[in-house]
Amino acid sequence: MSNLMATGSSALLAFQRALNTVSHNVANINTPGYSRQRAEMQAREGAYGQEGSGVRVVDIRRMADSLATARLLDSSGELSRLQQMTVLTGRMDSLFSDKATGITAPWSGFFDSVSALSSSAASAADRENLLSQAGALVSRFNQIDKHLDGLDNEINSGLTAGVAEVNRLSAEIAQLNGRIGGGGNVSGDLLDRRDQLISELVGFTGGNAMAQDAGQINVFTSGGQPLVVGTAASRLVTTTDPYRPDRLQVALETSFQRTDLGKGALGGQMGALLEFRSNVLDPALGELGRIAVSLARTFNEGHTAGMDLYGQLGGEFFDLPAPTVAPHSGNGGTALLTAQVADIDALRAQDVVLRFDGANWTAANAGNGAPVAMTGTGTAADPLLVNGVSLVVAGAAAAGDRFQLLPTAGAAGAISLAITDPGRIAAATAVKGSSDLGNLGTGKLSGTRVLDAGDPDLLAPVAIEFIDANQYTIDGTGPFAYTPGQAIVHNGWSVVLDGVPVAGDSFGVGPTGANSSNNGNAALLANLDDARVLNAGTLTLNGAIGGLITSVGSSARQADYAAEAQLVIHDQALAARDSISGVNLDEEAADLMRLQQAYQAASQIIATADSLFQSLLGAVRR
Amino acid sequence: MNGRISTGMLYQQSLTSMLAKQAKLAHTQQQLSTGQKLISAKDDPVAAGLAVGLDRSLAELERYGQNANVLQNRLGLQENALARVGDAMARVSELTIQASNPAMGPDSRKAISTELEAIHAGLIDLANSTDGSGRYLFGGTADGDAPFSIGTGGVVYSGDQTQRRVELAPDTFVSDTLPGSEIFLRLRTGDGRVHASALPGNTGTGLLMDYSLTDPAAFDGGTYQVRFPTPDTYEVRNSANVVVGTGSFEDGESIAFAGLQIKLDGAPAAGDAFEIGPAGVRDVFGTIQGLIDTLESNPVTAGERTAMQNALQGALRDVSLASGRMIDARAAGGAQLRALDQAADLRDANSITVKDALSGLRDLDWAEAISRYNQETTALQAAQTVFTQMQSMSLFNMMR
Repeated sequence: MSNLMATGSSALLAFQRALNTVSHNVANINTPGYSRQRAEMQAREGAYGQEGSGVRVVDIRRMADSLATARLLDSSGELSRLQQMTVLTGRMDSLFSDKATGITAPWSGFFDSVSALSSSAASAADRENLLSQAGALVSRFNQIDKHLDGLDNEINSGLTAGVAEVNRLSAEIAQLNGRIGGGGNVSGDLLDRRDQLISELVGFTGGNAMAQDAGQINVFTSGGQPLVVGTAASRLVTTTDPYRPDRLQVALETSFQRTDLGKGALGGQMGALLEFRSNVLDPALGELGRIAVSLARTFNEGHTAGMDLYGQLGGEFFDLPAPTVAPHSGNGGTALLTAQVADIDALRAQDVVLRFDGANWTAANAGNGAPVAMTGTGTAADPLLVNGVSLVVAGAAAAGDRFQLLPTAGAAGAISLAITDPGRIAAATAVKGSSDLGNLGTGKLSGTRVLDAGDPDLLAPVAIEFIDANQYTIDGTGPFAYTPGQAIVHNGWSVVLDGVPVAGDSFGVGPTGANSSNNGNAALLANLDDARVLNAGTLTLNGAIGGLITSVGSSARQADYAAEAQLVIHDQALAARDSISGVNLDEEAADLMRLQQAYQAASQIIATADSLFQSLLGAVRR
Repeated sequence: MNGRISTGMLYQQSLTSMLAKQAKLAHTQQQLSTGQKLISAKDDPVAAGLAVGLDRSLAELERYGQNANVLQNRLGLQENALARVGDAMARVSELTIQASNPAMGPDSRKAISTELEAIHAGLIDLANSTDGSGRYLFGGTADGDAPFSIGTGGVVYSGDQTQRRVELAPDTFVSDTLPGSEIFLRLRTGDGRVHASALPGNTGTGLLMDYSLTDPAAFDGGTYQVRFPTPDTYEVRNSANVVVGTGSFEDGESIAFAGLQIKLDGAPAAGDAFEIGPAGVRDVFGTIQGLIDTLESNPVTAGERTAMQNALQGALRDVSLASGRMIDARAAGGAQLRALDQAADLRDANSITVKDALSGLRDLDWAEAISRYNQETTALQAAQTVFTQMQSMSLFNMMR
């Protein structure tokens, strides 16, 4: 009877614990990373030939599969990297695509206003309009550059915040490793907690977790750098870029050394920040700058060949800073490099690292280290020439000194208008031709063009006189043979002379003069957006803008697609993990009912034992 | 599929699918409200890049259209001015013919010369027409100040000879207004090739009837004089004053030499001479001014009257050449207006092509988008219904 009592009460206790487990599961249904638990029961065996003596709970088992957890960890690091990329590239994409923030609308407006000026070159209204459209274009360049700089700063703060969070998480994981690996049995909840922390950590850095024999887990970044080893946590720190103090990088600090973690060594959110910066942001900044530089250079070149309303040769229209050359912070020499854009059609947006080996300079792509062709020695007479940029070295460089050349990055932020007076817009061709009003022949000058605005005698008046119908002199020199329709090139200009002149006819070429409504230069300037000036004369400025928008859009689309695909993989991994570890309420309800019934049955055993005992008592009372 | 699903996963899955459907629906809604299938470049990066170039072309074409309006205005004004110049020149011809009537008295000539003076002044005003924005139509590109002014030696042209060309369609340039020098100046005298006149000191009644260049190959370009040593004989001298021909003069007979032909009527006096040589240039104002000066002289003798007749004949030739030039100028203006129309046709054709291409890249297929919208709405509603029903499906609900 006491046996019956003991069996019944063991069942009651076991079912109570099992019911507790069920309620623990139900209570934690929304706890992230929670693995459901199950009370494992075992019969209390009796001796041979004896009946057993009930049941006991041997373990509260945590339902988890390390393989499923590892898969989930892997996919969650990648997912947070791709989602971060999607957010950042999506922002870039809408910045460039939206008419209100993109470059295309003011770009088109600017060239339209030049075209308008070519229809009424002396009109004050059209000149004012050109200046204000140019101002709008310049400030849009500045705004986009500033916006991209803002993204750069966000990446810095993202890295700083990420580093703090990573350090907190790895310290906590190391501490949990200590508690778990300290021996004895640990509760499933503690393991869940650690798995959850690891998953958060991997969300920042990517990487994987390796279970060790003692129950500890080591965490590594995707580049294999240790973040947590046993009870020791590494520390991440932010360092500044040796070339650019305004840029942060991430390094791993161990007691022995500091290792830089590049975009390949980190995954997760922080890896995405670094990858976005070097693969999307920097190329876009460089390309935008290249467009700004090319616009300014080609437009200035055309503008200086024209003549303004005051009768002066045109000046620079856009102001532009020189390319940046930043020394490495560890340089030993005193050398400083000054750079200048030498050649637009060779100009590339790619950043270049220049290295001095003690005798010669070499250049390499800053992104992938591939060598870049460079000529020259660095003197003013023979400057270094790389990717269309010329560099002059001042001071003495020590062997191993390095410099980073940013050919165009930042140019879009610094471009500005050089003129503010609408009268200074050089819409006119600088020289014009005329035939003497007394000419008897039908000779006619047309197609006046300026070939070399730098010719000192460009504006000197020149007389072309025909000594007979087939020969002419230029300012008394000659004679030259005349062919109808021929171009006469002199003093940096060229004119086409056609018709039948007769002896004694004279033609003059001279400066266009003040207040002219000549539109020759404006008509040339209006077509510069379609001039093939980039990439060795294969790409127009319009094409470059289209290309920039395509490349930004592509990286956003690529990130989107990759994130979508990764989400599917992640969902599968999550489903696999949850199929083992997740709590199902129906299951718990069924368990609850089952255990309730079992508990009632066990109570009935106690009651039965009691009634047996009572009947025994009743039998002996009398 | 796993045999076992956690409740959280179940919720998460239907929530995720609901959110995804919502995002799709929002995208379709945005497409429908903008009418474009490209919301941002990532929807189709290549198309977005292409669209940049096409948008630029389209904007350029629109701008060309506005440039054409500016030009059309100026060319229209040129057309008006030249029409009025043509009218004035027709009146000048008429008046010259009237004045050539030998029966015309001094008063009548005075009346004609007064009217010619008014026309002269009116022509200068027409030549100084403005385009309505303070620039002068016929000043070439030096059109900031009035190109024609009266100086000591006649009308002075201060414009230049540059004719602007404005781009009105890709690589299609149309010329702006003609420079004044090409309309009013540089008019050949005589018949356009050779010019003959009676020398001022003639005293006889020799009337220069006609002259022409009959054989351009034989003409050496020099100036010749037909002189009358006696009223019945003539000699021809070249520019070096060497006699190159002689003959006896018959009234109304043509004299030919060196590829030239000259026909004289009447009775030249001994010592009279006529000159013939290559045509020079003169401006239309000078021609009219010369006519006025001739009409204002008051001939008394037969010789003076003949001189006036000779001068009037010359003026009539010059005026008819000048009228021809004005008609040519107007025709040139008409050709420019026609080029304007052709450029407009080209722009329209290009614009349709570009818009078509842009529409293919960017515009929404409405039928497809609306049916997609309906489909997505239905799908979202279905997902929501499933979610609410799933929510009520729990074993715990049965435990009452």
